[in-house]
Amino acid sequence: MDREELKRLVAQLLQERAPEKELPGEDLTQVELRKLYLVEQPKNPEAFLRLKAKTPARLGMGRAGTRYRTQTLLRFRADHAAAQDSVFSQVPEDFPKANGLLGLQTLCKEKEEYLTRPDLGRRFSQETGNLIREVFAGQRILLVVGDGLSANAITENAMDCLQAIRQGLKAKNLETGQPIFVRYCRVGASDHLGELTGCELVCLLVGERPGLVTNASMSAYLTYKPHLGTEESERTVISNIHSQGIAPVEAGAHIAAVIGQILQKKKSGVAFAGEAGQ
Amino acid sequence: MGETLLSVGIDIGTTTTQLVFSRLLVENAAGAFSVPQFAITGKELLYRSPVRFTPLLSERLVDTQALRSMIAGEYAAAGYRREQIQTGAVIITGETARKENARQVLSALSGFAGDFVVATAGPALESLLAGKGAGAEALCRRENRPVMNLDIGGGTTNLALFQEGAATRTGCLNVGGRLVKLSPEGRLLYCSPVLRPYTNYQPGELLPPEERQRLGDFLAEILEKALEGEPIPPGFVTDRVLPAPREALLSFSGGVAQLMQELPEEPLAYGDLGAYLARAILRSGLCRRDYRLAPESIRATVLGAGSHATALSGSTIFYRGISFPLKNLPVAALPPEALQLSGPLLAEEIRRRLGLFDREQAVLSLRGTKAPGFGELCRLADGIALGAEDALREGKALILALEADYAKALGQALGLLLPGPQPILCADGLALSEGSYLDIGSPIAGGQALPVVIKTLAFQA
Repeated sequence: MDREELKRLVAQLLQERAPEKELPGEDLTQVELRKLYLVEQPKNPEAFLRLKAKTPARLGMGRAGTRYRTQTLLRFRADHAAAQDSVFSQVPEDFPKANGLLGLQTLCKEKEEYLTRPDLGRRFSQETGNLIREVFAGQRILLVVGDGLSANAITENAMDCLQAIRQGLKAKNLETGQPIFVRYCRVGASDHLGELTGCELVCLLVGERPGLVTNASMSAYLTYKPHLGTEESERTVISNIHSQGIAPVEAGAHIAAVIGQILQKKKSGVAFAGEAGQ
Repeated sequence: MGETLLSVGIDIGTTTTQLVFSRLLVENAAGAFSVPQFAITGKELLYRSPVRFTPLLSERLVDTQALRSMIAGEYAAAGYRREQIQTGAVIITGETARKENARQVLSALSGFAGDFVVATAGPALESLLAGKGAGAEALCRRENRPVMNLDIGGGTTNLALFQEGAATRTGCLNVGGRLVKLSPEGRLLYCSPVLRPYTNYQPGELLPPEERQRLGDFLAEILEKALEGEPIPPGFVTDRVLPAPREALLSFSGGVAQLMQELPEEPLAYGDLGAYLARAILRSGLCRRDYRLAPESIRATVLGAGSHATALSGSTIFYRGISFPLKNLPVAALPPEALQLSGPLLAEEIRRRLGLFDREQAVLSLRGTKAPGFGELCRLADGIALGAEDALREGKALILALEADYAKALGQALGLLLPGPQPILCADGLALSEGSYLDIGSPIAGGQALPVVIKTLAFQA
């Protein structure tokens, strides 16, 4: 068997093993799920697609016997892999500098430790603590960006949102100073920041735990007078900030307004929601 | 926590005038950890007036004075005061809309009925409100199929087609039960000019029952042809014909539909052709298709005005220095591609479009992209601030309606660019087309959302 013949044979075999026609070409996560309807011989596919447009749930995926179809299964695994990747991915080294943020790190030394030791993601070292105190003591509001569980959420949304927040606060004559970026950051890091600076409010933009719908969703946690021992119920949360959810700039403008109200009512979280009727 | 809006609907039709009061329930439909999203989540009918004849001074003039006291009487009977009314619409429909003093009647009554009671007219809006009031939109959503509503009144038949859960087309025909008026003994008192060429009888003559039914059949045939897409005499077209798609369910509302429900024993009870037209329709090809009679048939339009005219803007909005309500703002629509223009060109385009509305306060509408970056947002704000300079200098307000959800961010950026006292309003969740008008009521839900009435004059094909 000569080389050419071998080539032909391999090509032929590959051809025979060509994937099912319905499989998209390159990246199967690029197919828009809301527009994908795989049920065979549907009675009214248009009506089903109209329903699908309203939800990211994997509806109308059809079946092969009692199981998923290949495309559905692969897509599910691809989305799951993307979510996992996102947890392990890092916000680029130069992100804080490129965006004018002061780069800090919690006690976690690397990703593995961050994922296994949540307590370390809420505290800063003595040295970092001193720096924080030095720079931010006496500042009323701290604006903080933390990687949390999704680097994508931060690289895609944080700056658009942050700038809109700053613009909104500027219009209210509220000073914010330099925003901070915290690597290996848990929501509770707000409390240590509050303890160190005595600030009135911490606004933390943090990457949400990635899911199968999106791996780039960001939340804002607003805590009035955070301190070590702050209860989770004392935080006001605005979630689902991403390009397919609440637009980051609009969320920013809303967050700025809520910050104004929190400072006025001198409380955040459940107590604030009760009063603000939100 | 629900907030409510007390709403009034008034329909001044060819034959009858009606009024309803309803309560609209407003709730935050978003979850506790989300940006708020207020929506009208419920509608409760509180009061229906009796169906009364529309008072006329002559064939050409509406009796404003009598109408006013009729409405004042209904307010008293229902136990509401003008000041309590938060929203609503007065609509003047059918042949009445063509009376010489229609416009004056409308504006006088809308002010009389409440601060934010919106004056509406026009065949497209009439068709739309009747269709919604008849429940055709809800039916279309529930059944997942196209629904065509025919609101058959005294002077006109309003057609509205609902597809995929929303109104897509409207039409209006000069077909109604009161194109002919008859005395109790059957004498011809009045025949509408459109129908005159089709009968040999003259006013004052006795119109025999066979001739009445023949005219009813003739009108039903016009309707049937129009819906089949066959040509009809142009005199019967008010604004445009609207064929019904094969698969569409027909929904009948209006006074004639009421008669279709129960044919009166005495066909001359209302002194017109209504009963004959109703019978003719029931026997026609229209009723060999899938059809249903609307539950609130004769009240469809007034319910539409009272319960369906008001909508809410998105819930993250921006405004300063605005005195509400804002009424009858013509829409200057910025085409989507304009947003691609560079700052000065965008500003020029905005200046040109706002300039078309000389002395009027217009609302600038744009669709916007789903999630703009902060830089994109600032460039847009720059262009708008520059483009609105002339209008602001003339003492007008900068009023923006976006479809995409970022009005608060855009308004905030504009607020910083225009630091003076210029009034600015920026609301989202509003899809407006050129040629429409917008009315905006006082903010609700703690200032987070605006009640609005969008007055569509025409649907784009």
